[in-house]
Amino acid sequence: MQFPVSKYGFVFRMVEESDAEFILSLRTNDKLAKHLSPTEGDLDGQIAWIKSYKQREARGEEYYFLFESQTGQGLGVIRLYNFEGDSYTAGSWLTNPGADEMTAFASDAFAMDLAFDELGFSKCLIDVRKQNVKVLRYHKRFFKQIAEDADNIYMEMDRDGFQRKHQFLNSILQP
Amino acid sequence: MDIEKFVQEFANQFDMVPAEEFTPETHFKENEEWDSMTALSIIAMADDSYNVRLTGDDIRTSVTVQDIFDIVVSKVK
Repeated sequence: MQFPVSKYGFVFRMVEESDAEFILSLRTNDKLAKHLSPTEGDLDGQIAWIKSYKQREARGEEYYFLFESQTGQGLGVIRLYNFEGDSYTAGSWLTNPGADEMTAFASDAFAMDLAFDELGFSKCLIDVRKQNVKVLRYHKRFFKQIAEDADNIYMEMDRDGFQRKHQFLNSILQP
Repeated sequence: MDIEKFVQEFANQFDMVPAEEFTPETHFKENEEWDSMTALSIIAMADDSYNVRLTGDDIRTSVTVQDIFDIVVSKVK
């Protein structure tokens, strides 16, 4: 797949070092940070993390996408990682609170379609904080719970779940 | 369809706002809790309770709970 890609009215591309400030602004946003691992407000640290990520990206081990408006306004990020056999993990999913309500689902649909249809995975693994009630409710429509601990629910989605979710998201999103 | 029942179901998708604060005239996007996941919860509620698929455009063009109710009514088969 050639990037950037335009889909659902948004533009998707790989994260670059120059995105560090935007990503940091998302990760330290009060509303978004509630359910994230603590992030140090350190731009140099974010840049170093992206440099390291770009090496994993070059090896085909991980993909971190930034989605933006057609005019280039950053709207959010989503990451595919932990590639192991036929499974991958989706996470680092953050959308700017001021973005259109459907932006998050467009990015979710884009990343999921790429993982199952382009990269050939057949299982998606996620972990969600128990306190993140609405996100849990969303994922439970398509994922099966496989484990839990004190703080998190661990879930997986197989190809059947992917197809149901693909159909659902495409029915609510613009083509 | 019963608007009072619908308003109650709509309000139940908000976790931090008392249900009694919602009326058909409520401008739901002005609520601090409103976000993409709440929008998805409303879409899922319409799907589960009324077998109606709301779209992103339905959400975008709606301002009040009554607006969403009217769209659901128009789509009920």
